[in-house]
Amino acid sequence: MSGSAPSPATEVYLDGIGKTFHAGRPDEVRALRTVTLRIEPGEYVSIEGPSGGGKTTLLNVVGLLERPSAGRVFWNRTSAEGLSERARARLRLTGVGFIFQRFFLIPTLTARENVEMPMRALGRPAAERRSRADELLGLVGLSGRAGAYPHQLSGGEEQRVAVARALANRPGLLLADEPTGELDRANTDSVLDLLDQAHRTTGASIVVVTHNPLVAARARRHLAIEDGQLVRDSASE
Amino acid sequence: MRGLSGGRWRLRHWRLQTALAALALAFAVSLPVLLLSVGGGVSSHELANLRSTGFEVSLSAPGEHGITGAHALVEKLAGEPNIAVASPVLSVPVDLFAGTSGPVPLLVEGVVPSAFLATLPPEEAGLFPKPLPLGDPTDLVHFDHGTYAGPSAGRILISSPIAYAHGLTVGTPVRLAATPDGVGAENFTVAGIFGVPPTLLGPTAAFAALLPLSDLQVLTGYARGPSGDVIDAADTVEVALAGSAATDPGAVSRVAASLQEQYPFYAVATQSQTVQQAERAASILTGFYFALSSIGLAVGLLFLALVLVRRVEGMRSEIAVRRAIGVPAGQIARELAGSALLLAAVGIVGGMVLAYLAIAALARFGSPTVQAAVELSVYDPTTLLLLAAAVLGLGVLSSGLATRAALRIPITETLR
Repeated sequence: MSGSAPSPATEVYLDGIGKTFHAGRPDEVRALRTVTLRIEPGEYVSIEGPSGGGKTTLLNVVGLLERPSAGRVFWNRTSAEGLSERARARLRLTGVGFIFQRFFLIPTLTARENVEMPMRALGRPAAERRSRADELLGLVGLSGRAGAYPHQLSGGEEQRVAVARALANRPGLLLADEPTGELDRANTDSVLDLLDQAHRTTGASIVVVTHNPLVAARARRHLAIEDGQLVRDSASE
Repeated sequence: MRGLSGGRWRLRHWRLQTALAALALAFAVSLPVLLLSVGGGVSSHELANLRSTGFEVSLSAPGEHGITGAHALVEKLAGEPNIAVASPVLSVPVDLFAGTSGPVPLLVEGVVPSAFLATLPPEEAGLFPKPLPLGDPTDLVHFDHGTYAGPSAGRILISSPIAYAHGLTVGTPVRLAATPDGVGAENFTVAGIFGVPPTLLGPTAAFAALLPLSDLQVLTGYARGPSGDVIDAADTVEVALAGSAATDPGAVSRVAASLQEQYPFYAVATQSQTVQQAERAASILTGFYFALSSIGLAVGLLFLALVLVRRVEGMRSEIAVRRAIGVPAGQIARELAGSALLLAAVGIVGGMVLAYLAIAALARFGSPTVQAAVELSVYDPTTLLLLAAAVLGLGVLSSGLATRAALRIPITETLR
C-alpha cells in the first residue's frame, strides 16, 4: 500500500451513554439508556437487536456523528465531550471509515472520484489520491470500473466502492450500518470478505450493525441492544 | 434498477438545472450589457458632438427667444478682447409652401451668415456651402439699425432631405409662413442646399433650413413686440474666442465671467460647463441603466440561488454522507461558491455573447433610428469588467443561501 501509514486501531470507551431525541416533547424517544462499553483496538464487533432498539444511534455515537445526551465518549482514552463540530469532523475524516446500507455514493462522481473524496477533503495531492484510489479499487476487484458512475454499477459494485472509500484515509475504526442490507447472498459474502480482509490487513477496529446472522458471524464479539440498553455482550459470557 | 435509473435521472436533472441557471444568468447579464453598450455609445457620441463645437461660450435667456437686441449684442461682443466672433441663433418652426405642396413643417434657424459657420464644428461646417449664399453677410443691411427697412435678400438654405423630398433645387421659389394656413407668407428663393450630419433625432432635425436672422424675425414676429418696439430676438448667442484663448480653459472662464458680469440677466455658460452637465446627465443615465439592469440581474441571481438551494435539496444524502465522513463545512461552502462562480462566469460570457448578437440583430433589423443608435455602441472594458465582477460577487453571495441550507441538513436523519 502506498501513501501514509494506517491510523492505529482505535479504542472506544462509552461511559454511561444516554441519548434522547426530542427531549421534553410528546414525541420524546430515549434511544440509548446508560450504555457503558469498551471496544478494544482491533476488535471486530457486531451489534444486533430489533429495529428501533438503538443500534444505529449507538453506532453514530461511537462514530462521533451524534453527541450523547448523557455520559461521555472516549477515543483512545481522550474524551470527545468538549470537541467542536469541526474537530469531530476532523476526527471522523482521519479516524473513521463509514459504510452505509444504501451505499451513498456521490452520483455525479465516478467510482475513482468517490474513493478519492475523503482524501481530497484531507488535502492529499492529486497523484497520491489517484494512486491510492486505484489501489483500493483493485483491492475490491473494481480496477476496470474506476471511470464508471454509480448508476452504471450494480448494487454489489457500489457497496464495494463504498468499502474502498471507507478505507481511503486508512482509518483506525470502520463503522458499518447494515452493510449488506441491500445485497444478495453472493454480494453479501463478497463485501464481508472485504471487511475481513481490511480487518486483517489494517488491524482497524470494526463495528457492524446488522440483522443478518451471516454478517454477525464474521465478528469476534457480539453485542445485542434492545430498547436502548445493552442486553448481551459475548465478551462477558 | 434503483441505482441505475435514479442516478442517471439525477445526473441529467443536475445538468439541466445547471444549463437553465446559466441561461437565466446569461439573459440577466445581456440586458445591462445591451443598455450600457448602446446607451453609453449614444451618450459618448452626443458628448463628442458637444465637445467639438466651434464656440467656447454661449449666452442664453430663460423663456422662449429670450435674448433681445441680438444684433446690437453681437456687435458689442465682437468688440470685446479675445472674442473672434459672436453668432446669434433664433430657432422657430415655420411652414413651407413650394408650388402646390405645403404646408411642410420646417425648423428654421435665423443666423448672421458671416458668423454662423465660425461657431460650428469643422465637420458640420463642411456640410454647408461657403460662404453661406444668403446675401447680406452681416445681416445689417436688412436689419438697418433696427428698422428692418433695408432690402431683404429673400434667400433660404434648405437641408438635402427636404430638397429631396419636395424636388427643390437651387433657384426654386418657395413661400414661408409662421402658420400652416399660409397667412403672412413671404417669398424666398432656394439659394443653397446643405447636408445633414448623422443624427439620432431622425427627420425632424433633418427637415431644417437657414434664413438670415432678420428675415426669420420679421416672418415670425420676433422683430418687433406688440407695441411696435424693436425686440430683435434670438435664443442664444454663441461666442468663439480668438487665438490661444480658445484653447486655454482659464481664459475661457475669464471671458465667461466677464460676460456674466456685463450681462447678468443672461445665462453665460462655457462649453466645458455644458459638457460637464451633459456628462453628469450621462452618468445619471448610466446609473439608471444599472438600476434597470439590476432588476434583471436580481432575478437572474435569485434564480441562481434557488437553483443552488434546489441542488442542495436534491443532494441531501450526498451532502450528509460527506459531512458524516468528515468533509469540512468550509469545503462544502467553497464548492457551492465555486459552483455559483462557475455558473456566474458562464452566465457572464453567455450574456455578453447574447448582447452582442442582439446588438447585431438590431443593427440589421431595427428601425433607422435604432440602427443609427446601435451603430454607436461601445464596449467599454472597464464597465464590462465591473459588471462581471459584480455578477461574480453577487453569485458568491447567492451561494450563501445554499451553503446555509447544506449545513443545516441533519446528517444522521438523512442517512437513515
